[in-house]
Amino acid sequence: MSRFAGILLVLALTGCAGTGPVISPLLPAGSSEAVVELGATPFVAQTDYQCGPAALAMLLQAAGSRVTPTDLVPAVYLPARQGSLQLELIAATRRHGRLPYVIEPLISVLLEELRAGRPVLVLQNLGLRSHPVWHYAVAVGYRPEADEIILRSGTTRRKLMDASRFMRTWENAGAWGLLVLRPGELPARVDPGTYIRAAADLESVGQTRAAGEAYAAATAHWPDNATAWFGLGNTHYHLGELEVAEHAYRQALRADPGYLAAYNNLAMLLARRGCYPAALATLEQALELTRPDDSLRGTLLETYREVLQRQRAPGAQVDPACNDLGQQP
Amino acid sequence: MNSKLTGKAGLYALILQFAIATFPPMALAGLIQTPEAIATQQHELSRQQLSEAVAREDVQQQLVELGVDPAMALERIAVLTDAEIAQLNHRIDNLPAGAGVLEVIGVVFVVLLILELVGVTNIFSKF
Repeated sequence: MSRFAGILLVLALTGCAGTGPVISPLLPAGSSEAVVELGATPFVAQTDYQCGPAALAMLLQAAGSRVTPTDLVPAVYLPARQGSLQLELIAATRRHGRLPYVIEPLISVLLEELRAGRPVLVLQNLGLRSHPVWHYAVAVGYRPEADEIILRSGTTRRKLMDASRFMRTWENAGAWGLLVLRPGELPARVDPGTYIRAAADLESVGQTRAAGEAYAAATAHWPDNATAWFGLGNTHYHLGELEVAEHAYRQALRADPGYLAAYNNLAMLLARRGCYPAALATLEQALELTRPDDSLRGTLLETYREVLQRQRAPGAQVDPACNDLGQQP
Repeated sequence: MNSKLTGKAGLYALILQFAIATFPPMALAGLIQTPEAIATQQHELSRQQLSEAVAREDVQQQLVELGVDPAMALERIAVLTDAEIAQLNHRIDNLPAGAGVLEVIGVVFVVLLILELVGVTNIFSKF
C-alpha cells in the first residue's frame, strides 16, 4: 500500500519535474514557435559502430568538404573501443582545414547556432550515467510547438526527439556540442579566447592558410585583440607574406604595447627582410620592458644574438626600403 | 620476431621524420609560435617539447594497442595539439567513445527501463 502511494508520489513529482516546454522559453521574443530545420544538411547513415565518422562527415560536408565517412574511419575510429573520441573528431576537423569550435554547454546556445544555420554535432549518453551508451548525432533543428529536437542520428535521417529527453541524454554526456566552421566563419555565440585558441590549434598542425583566415576574421571582429593580430602575423610570416605579417605585428603592439612575443617576431621579420638595425632596435625596446624573471627575456636575447650574427654574416642582404622604416614598431 | 623488430625500426624512422618535419627550419629560429605565446600570456608552462614528444609516442602506442594501424596512428597524433595529447595520455580507455545505436537498440529499451527504475530509487533516496 505504501509502495503504491510511493509510486503515485513519484509520478506526481516527476510530473512536476518535467514541467512545461524546454524550447519555447529559450527563444528570443518574436521568433517563438517558428520551426528551424536545416533540411539541406547532408545525411550519412552510420554503419556498424561508426556514428562518429558518419556524424563528422555530415558536418564537414555541410561546411563544404567532400569527405566521406569511409575516408574518416581510419582517422577517428578506435576498433577496440568500437567508437570515436571527441578529441579525435576535433583533430580530424583540423585535418580537413575546418575550424572545430566547442560551444558553451547550454541548450540555449545550441538553439542559437541552429537558428544561425549551423548544424551541431552532439554527444549523447543513451544509457545510464553508471553504464553509459555513448552516441554521436547531428542536431539540425527544433520544433518549439511540439517541443522536439530534430536530429540526424544513426540510420535515421530525421529523428524527432522530445526536447526534455534530448536535454537529459545531452547533459549526461557533458552537454558537448561541436561546430565545424569554414575558415573565417564565426559562431553566433563566440568567445574570443576560445575562438583564437582554436585558430592557434589549427595553425599548430600546419593548417596555416585556414588559420590565417580565422585570425583575419578575429581581428575584424575584435580589432583590439592583440593575440588575434599576433596569430595573423605568424601565419603570414610562415606563408612568406611579410608585408601583411609586419602590419599585423604592429597592430598587435598597438593593441598591447607590452606584447613581448610580438616585438620578438617583428624583429625576426625585419631581420629576414635585411633590416638589421631596425630589428635590433625593436629587440632593445622589448628588452627594456622586461623584468629579469620574464620567461621571454631569454628568447629575446637569443633572437638579438642571432640577428647580430646574421648582420655580420658574409653576403648579408640589406633591403633598401629599410631606410623608410621608423624606429618605432 | 625479426619482422616485429624492423616494424619498430620503421616506426621510429617515421617518428623521426615527423619530428623533423614539424620543427621549424633554422631560418625561423627565434620566432615565437602562437600557441606558445598564448601559453606564456596565460602563465602556463611553455617550451616543453621534450616531454610532449615522449607523450606523443605514448599516445601513438596506445592508439596502436586499440587497433589503429601504426602509420595511421602517427597521422592521427599529428593533428592533435600538445594539450590534447596530454589529455589523451593514459586516459583513452576512460574517455567517452561515441559508438552508435545499431547494435544497442534492444539494449537501449532495457536500459531506458532501468533508467526509470533508477530514477525512482534516486528520487526516493532524497527523501
